[in-house]
Amino acid sequence: SVSCSKGQVPLTSALGIPQPELFLKKLQQCCTVFDFMDTLSDLKMKEYKRSTLNELVDYVTISRGYLTEQAYPEVVKMVSHNIFRTLPPSDSNEFDPEEDEPTLEASWPHLQLVYEFFIRFLESQEFQPSIAKKYIDQKFVLQLLELFDSEDPRERDYLKTVLHRIYGKFLGLRAFIRKQINNIFLRFVYETEHFNGVAELLEILGSIINGFALPLKAEHKQFLVKVLIPLHTVRSLSLFHAQLAYCIVQFLEKDPTLTEPVIRGLLKFWPKTCSQKEVMFLGELEEILDVIEPTQFVKIQEPLFKQISRCVSSPHFQVAERALYYWNNEYIMSLIEENSSVILPIMFASLYRISKEHWNPAIVALVYNVLKAFMEMNSTLFDELTATYKSDRQREKKKEKEREELWKKLEDLELKQSPAPRSSHSHSLPLQPCLPRARDTGCGLWTSTAPLVS
Amino acid sequence: MDAVRLMKELRVNYEQEVDFLPREAGLDLIVSAHGGQITARSRDVTVEDLWSLTSFFGYSTQSFVQAVSLLDRFLAMMRVQPKHLSCVSLSCLHLAARVTEEECDLTPADELIRIGQCRFTASDLGRMEKIVTEKLRFKSKAVTALTFLQLYHQITLTHATYRKETLSLEKLEAQLKACLCRIAFSKAKPSVLALALLRQEMKSLQSEDMLEISFHIQRHLKIPDAELQLWSEWVARRLSDYASPKCSKPNHRKLQWIVSRRTAQNLHSHRSVPELPTIPEGCWDESESEDSGEDVMSSGDESLCSSLGSDAEGPFFPLHLRRQYLAA
Repeated sequence: SVSCSKGQVPLTSALGIPQPELFLKKLQQCCTVFDFMDTLSDLKMKEYKRSTLNELVDYVTISRGYLTEQAYPEVVKMVSHNIFRTLPPSDSNEFDPEEDEPTLEASWPHLQLVYEFFIRFLESQEFQPSIAKKYIDQKFVLQLLELFDSEDPRERDYLKTVLHRIYGKFLGLRAFIRKQINNIFLRFVYETEHFNGVAELLEILGSIINGFALPLKAEHKQFLVKVLIPLHTVRSLSLFHAQLAYCIVQFLEKDPTLTEPVIRGLLKFWPKTCSQKEVMFLGELEEILDVIEPTQFVKIQEPLFKQISRCVSSPHFQVAERALYYWNNEYIMSLIEENSSVILPIMFASLYRISKEHWNPAIVALVYNVLKAFMEMNSTLFDELTATYKSDRQREKKKEKEREELWKKLEDLELKQSPAPRSSHSHSLPLQPCLPRARDTGCGLWTSTAPLVS
Repeated sequence: MDAVRLMKELRVNYEQEVDFLPREAGLDLIVSAHGGQITARSRDVTVEDLWSLTSFFGYSTQSFVQAVSLLDRFLAMMRVQPKHLSCVSLSCLHLAARVTEEECDLTPADELIRIGQCRFTASDLGRMEKIVTEKLRFKSKAVTALTFLQLYHQITLTHATYRKETLSLEKLEAQLKACLCRIAFSKAKPSVLALALLRQEMKSLQSEDMLEISFHIQRHLKIPDAELQLWSEWVARRLSDYASPKCSKPNHRKLQWIVSRRTAQNLHSHRSVPELPTIPEGCWDESESEDSGEDVMSSGDESLCSSLGSDAEGPFFPLHLRRQYLAA
């Protein structure tokens, strides 16, 4: 409990002139945490703490020569007291981060100021990591990371900045931070599929990846392959996909030789039942292709375009549309052009088929654009493929016709035969081996049409 | 059809082909025209578009060839403004398809217009069709190079049936299509153009006995050597251009890419500048904690591909998750 004496001395009464003792005292006062769930209690005290915190924020912003060694532990203590807490469990087990409104932190009026204060403290010109590292240690970082699971996006945003600054200034903590983030992600992907702070952590990672030295350390490459790629499989991907894609592209810009494992990884985890995710994957893939080197492109073009060929045929029009739009990308077009003899045969059949079969007229129009582009790219190959496609279709039609005629003949035969006697072993017609019906997707083993025995 | 009847039919078509040649003076005007009028280039581009549409809608080569015949004859006769060119060409295609394709395979006019990304309406198209029909006194199919190509092909096979597999009519048709995309060939007599194509293919197959048959045809129709030679050279040059990669740079109007609103919103939504400043990795980072597991993760790039999701090794992978992971 705090003793509130009337006429508190303002911290910044003499602007800029440090008052170290007062500073420490106010820090200690702010260690008391109030219960905001009870909205009516301690209103005066809460207001007092709020204004004190405000003072502290101003103080570290404008003062010079205020930071003594004694201040460090007090600062960290005050911040710890305020922010480190057990997060309330989610309102319901079914909290869907994509749909539901998050539960906001009730003590935000104080909490925000504490975060604000801490960030300015860390960013202060007088801040010395060599002193601070005694108090901002692994234990502190661990507790900080746990807070990233807060449902309150404002808190996560502040935490993001805090952790970013800590990573930047505390060289000795970097490996530890990376390892812990790694663990959080792995737990997220393989155990819980629940963590609210993935986007924020990825954003921090983006700025770290951006700063990687070359050649890339093996640890970083493993992180890409073992953590970032599997992150794509999570159901709630839409919440952090933008940040994840950014990280991936940054990696590839640092080391283009990673292109093949990345794309193979994406293809391996390609969404099979969720069209929204497919659209996201296509977006990310286009971003990757935007920066891909031609030599890398050649290595993965076959499996890549086999997948694109499937996307283009998707009955979900958004997926088809997004895939077809690749042909509006100049750089991708130039890559396709250089390798049209490989890519065109892969794409041709699906493009031709959907130009006839797709239900969506907008898709049909886009397919025309793509086919026309291919036609101009490699006319002779296009002609060959058209001829082959046509003759294949002719042959199929002929087979279908023959099949239909055969069935008809059999039906006629059956009518001529006398009806089968009621015996479990008789058949009116001998068994014919494997005549698949025209549109039978099952095993198609033909059996007699004798009436079922009672 | 037996050889005699084929030769007779050949003669009949040979006599009729003159009626279907575009006016040479008209063609010359187009070839020498500049911007503001229909040029050779714009005619060629239009014909290429016609081919794209033919191919897309699954129309036969016959429809295409008929359409080009109508188009060239019309352009050589009438002074058409460039802005009407696409309407004229599309109406030629529609007319040609109507007399060539099965009713069930015909694409309705508005679909043609939509896919062709044209700016006029179906009634505009209908009116233009009437004009073309009237001016050309269009009743039925023209005698074209394709007519002769098909006849020559049949004649060759009756004399050399064992060649059925190698002398491909489809390939010849594709080559004819390539030639028709250049206005220079509109001046050629169809019988000569077809023969030049036939001989070109026979030469590439290195078949002396087939070339013998082509001589026979030439003599039968009394086609002068010089004329055949001239067009053979043009054909050879055109086919070699067609097959070369130089052909692949389209430089006419850009196609429209219309996407749905939702897709348009998603496009480029990721390209946002990150707010957090970059944190450079320093070489001093090496001296950090021992558990960074670098010494184990020295596997080369090749293993990255194969090890994808296949193992849960190394200190990088916390113990308690390994079991889970392997079970996943």
